[in-house]
Amino acid sequence: LEKSRKSKEEKKVLRKQLKASHTLLKHEGVCTTPQPTKSLVIANGGLGNGVSREELTAALQEMGEVEKLLMPPHKPYAFVTFRSEDGARKAHANLNGWKLQCGESSITLYLSYVDSVKCKEAASVPLPEGLALVEHFVSPEEEAQLLNVIDWSPTQGDVTAQKSLKHRRVKHYGFEFRYDINNVDKDKPLAAGLPDECVPILQRCVEQGHTNVLPDQLTVNQYESGQGIPPHVDTHSAFEDTILSLSLGAKTVMEFRHPDGRVAAVVLPERSLLVMKGESRYLWSVVFCVRITPRKVDMVPAEAPRAGAPTEPGIQSNLTLSRRGTRTSFTFRKIRHEPCRCAFPSACDSQGAPSPSPGPSLPSCPADAARLEEEYVHRVYSTIASHFSDTRHTPWPRVCHFLSSLPSGSVLADVGCGNGKYLGVNADLVGCDRSTALVQICAARGYHAFVSDALSVPLRTASCDACISIAVIHHFSTAERRLAAVKELVRLLKPGGQALIYVWAFEQEYNKQKSKYLKQIFKEDHGEFSSTNLLSEKSQKSSGEQISDPSCHLENSHKPSDNMQGVSRVPDAHLSVHTNRTAFISQDLLVPWHLKGGKSQQEENPDLFPVFHRYYHVFQQGELEHLCAQVSGVKVKSSYHDQGNWCVVLQKE
Amino acid sequence: MKLLTHNMLTSHVKGVTKGYPLLIKATEVKVNQLDFNPQFVSRMIPKLEWGALVQAAEDLGYRQDLPGELIADYEQNEEFLKKVHRVLLEVEVMEGCLKCPESGREFPITKGIPNMLLNEDDA
Repeated sequence: LEKSRKSKEEKKVLRKQLKASHTLLKHEGVCTTPQPTKSLVIANGGLGNGVSREELTAALQEMGEVEKLLMPPHKPYAFVTFRSEDGARKAHANLNGWKLQCGESSITLYLSYVDSVKCKEAASVPLPEGLALVEHFVSPEEEAQLLNVIDWSPTQGDVTAQKSLKHRRVKHYGFEFRYDINNVDKDKPLAAGLPDECVPILQRCVEQGHTNVLPDQLTVNQYESGQGIPPHVDTHSAFEDTILSLSLGAKTVMEFRHPDGRVAAVVLPERSLLVMKGESRYLWSVVFCVRITPRKVDMVPAEAPRAGAPTEPGIQSNLTLSRRGTRTSFTFRKIRHEPCRCAFPSACDSQGAPSPSPGPSLPSCPADAARLEEEYVHRVYSTIASHFSDTRHTPWPRVCHFLSSLPSGSVLADVGCGNGKYLGVNADLVGCDRSTALVQICAARGYHAFVSDALSVPLRTASCDACISIAVIHHFSTAERRLAAVKELVRLLKPGGQALIYVWAFEQEYNKQKSKYLKQIFKEDHGEFSSTNLLSEKSQKSSGEQISDPSCHLENSHKPSDNMQGVSRVPDAHLSVHTNRTAFISQDLLVPWHLKGGKSQQEENPDLFPVFHRYYHVFQQGELEHLCAQVSGVKVKSSYHDQGNWCVVLQKE
Repeated sequence: MKLLTHNMLTSHVKGVTKGYPLLIKATEVKVNQLDFNPQFVSRMIPKLEWGALVQAAEDLGYRQDLPGELIADYEQNEEFLKKVHRVLLEVEVMEGCLKCPESGREFPITKGIPNMLLNEDDA
C-alpha cells in the first residue's frame, strides 16, 4: 500500500512538472528537454513567487557546484546552470516536487532540463543613457534635517501643495505638479519656495556638475512600506532636462522601462542622489516599489553595488529580495518655460506626442466611472464570455456551504451570476448578470437568469431570503458605487435575510498562506481565481474565520485606502496593469486576460490572440466590513478571508 | 423566462412607484415537461405574489382554472400543486417583452432571457 501511494505521489509530481514545462513553453517561450543537460529551469522557484536567491541557492548548492543562477525579475521561475551535468541530474532527482521553505511558507519546485539558458531578461541591460547614481550624497545629519523639514500635518492656506494620493503622500514646493493635467501651472507659483535646508545640497549639485541650473520646483514623495507608483515619464513640457532625486529614509529599487521593452532596475540606497538626463529623463518610464509578495520586499541586486563607484550595468537576473521601510524622495526639477525640443519626439508632448497616458485613470465623476466600467468590465466580459466560462466550472466550497445551509424553497438571488456556476448548486436561485453573453450561457444550461445591472436589480424590495454577490463588487470603480451595490443587495433582502459577498483581496497572502492565485502560477494564466483544484493540498484550511464585531474590526485592522476626508482627492496617475499571479502593487488596477492562445502566442500574433484588461478594485483587510457598516439596517454577521478573497455575511435587521 | 422569475421581477425605471407586476407581451411561449416536486411548490407558494402569477398565466392562456384567491390547505391538494407547478416552472416565455405598467418602458425577452438593463437616463 505504501508503495502504491508513493507512486501516486510520483505521478502527481510528474504531471505537474509536465504541466509546468508546457506552460513555460506556451507563455514564456522556454523550451525544456527530456535529456539531461547542465541547466535546469526551476518552475515556482522565481522571484515572482517570493523565493529569494539565498533560499534557492542554499538548496541548489547541496546538489553540486552552481555555475550560474538566473532569477528574472517578476518571473515565477529561475534558471540554474551547474558546473557538471551530474549536479543538474542530482538536482533534478532530489528537488523536483520538493518543497522549498521560503520565509514562513513553502513552495513546491518543479525542475526540467533546458538546452541553454536563453531568457530575454538574462541579458544584462545597461543603465539608461544619461542616468547617474551618486551614493552618500548627503550625510545622515543632512538626511535627518531634510526629513524634519517636511511637515505632513494638514496645512491651511496652501503655501505648499499637499496631497494624499492613492499610494503615497506628496508635497510640492515652488510649483504644484497637477496630476489631473500632468503638468504644472507655471503662472501660479506656490507661496512657499524650496526649503532653505535644500539650498546647500542644490549648490553641491551644481558644484559637482550634476546640473547647470538651480531647480525651482521640489516634489516630496513619501512611500510607506509596500506602496508604489505606476510607470510614468515626467511631462517634457513641464520641466527642463535634468531631474535630481534624493532618496532618504530607506533604500528602494527604481525600475526603468524603455518603450522597446527593455527594463533596468537600479538600487537607490538611502542618502543617494539620482541624476536623470537625456534619454533616461525623456524616454524611459520610471516605476518604483516592485512588490513581489505582501511580505513587503523589493528585488535588489544580490551583491551590494560598490560604494561611490558609478553603478554597474544592471544585471537583470542577479536579483534577490530585500525588506522595505518608509522611503522619502526629494525630487528637484526646473520649470520649463519654452517648448521642449528633445531628441525623443515620440515621447514629447511639446512635439505633438500625446501626453503620457498609457491607459485609463481612476474616474473622477460618476459618468467617468460608468464609462470605465463599460469599457473595462462589461465589454471585456462580453468578449471573453465563452472562454471565461470554460475556466469557471468549480464552485467555491464555502459559497456552496452558504447556499446549501438555506432551507429549501427559499427565494435566492445571485447578483452577478456569471456563467451560472452557483445556479446549479441551489435550484432556488435566480441569477442575473450585466453580461448578456454570460446570461445566455446560464440559459443554455437551463438556469433562470436575466440581464441586469447590480446597481439597479429589477427584483421586488424585500423579496429574497438570501442573496449572493460573488466576485462582483470589486468591478465598481468608485467607493460610492461599491456602496450602492451593497445597498442594492440589502434592499432585496427580507428582514432577517442574509447576503454573502466575496471580493478579491489585496492581500493574496493571509495567515502565512499564499492564495491559490499566487501559488498556481503554472495554471493557465487567466486572470483571477483559477477555478480548478480549489481544494487541493493544504491550503484548504487557510481561511481564518472571525465572527467579528465590525466596529472593533475597523479600529484594529482597517487600513483605509480612501480615507481622504479633508484632503482634496485628485486623480492619481493612470491605472497600472497587473502582472498575473503576482501580488498586487495597487488597489485599483487592470488585470489582463489572455484569450485562448496564451501570452507568448499573443505576443507573436496580437490580432489573433488579443489581450483584454478588466478593471478591479482589490479590497484591503477590513475595507469590505467598513463598506457594509455604512449601510443602515444590516449587520455584518461574519467575515473571513477565503483563497485571496475578503468575504462577509450580512444580515438584514 | 419562467413565471417564477416573472413573479419576482419589477420595473426599476426611475420615478416609477407602481412598477409591479410587469405586463407580458409574448410572441413565443413554450411548455417544458419538468419533474413535479410537490414540496418545492408548496414551499414556494407563500413566497409568491399570487395575484400576479394568476394574471400572468391568464395573459399567456395557461391559467387552467386557478382561482384568483389562494386556496387554503393547498399543501394537501396535489391537483392544485400540479397546476401551480405548470404555470410556475413549465411555461416559459421565449420571445416577447415585459412592459412597465406605469412608464410603458418595454424590456425585450430574447431566447427566453429578459434584458432588464436601463439606459443611463432612465436608471
